[in-house]
Amino acid sequence: MNRSQKAAWFIVINFTIAIIISITMYAILLPKTGFSKASSAISFMGLCGLSGFVPIFFKKDPGNIQSDERDIMITRKSAIAGFASAYLFVGLACMLPFTIMGNNATVSVRWLPMIFTGAGILNFYIHSITLLILYGRGGKR
Amino acid sequence: MSKSQLTNNIRRLRFDHNEMTQQKLADLAGVTRQTIIAVEQGKYTPSLTLAFKISAAFNRKIEDVFTFQPDK
Repeated sequence: MNRSQKAAWFIVINFTIAIIISITMYAILLPKTGFSKASSAISFMGLCGLSGFVPIFFKKDPGNIQSDERDIMITRKSAIAGFASAYLFVGLACMLPFTIMGNNATVSVRWLPMIFTGAGILNFYIHSITLLILYGRGGKR
Repeated sequence: MSKSQLTNNIRRLRFDHNEMTQQKLADLAGVTRQTIIAVEQGKYTPSLTLAFKISAAFNRKIEDVFTFQPDK
């Protein structure tokens, strides 16, 4: 397992834990405090920020060659998958309220940073999962 | 997904060359050991450049190392 795979595993596990804690806390807080205060449970997603320490946690691989054509190809495919999913997420997040609530409805500006944060998290998540899948499959062309 | 159409003799050639390790071949070809493992197992089809580098590591022609099997 190379450094990229270790980092991807870390991100997937870290994000999954953050999502589970956020949803659990939201489910606990919702009946007690109501929608407005229960939304603060989403702040547990801040745990995703631990992924910023990945370069410190995982040192460079032994050997002279750190990456080659296969690593570059896998990274590129993973990045495309990540960005495509984030793009789709933002598109859906913008279109769905319009589709469901109609032309004259309004969406709170509080949702905008949440949409972009969600897109960023989804990007990293899908990127890491795709990377692990492609390495697992041998990185076929 | 179908198996790679490109088969190779890398494993046999490594043993013919004084039991060359995958790491040694990776260093000679300028790639990581993981890539050599993937190529050897037919999970990854190398670029033409890499195929030539691997062949050069064994002092063989490319067709002695890799064989293309067209669909029937």
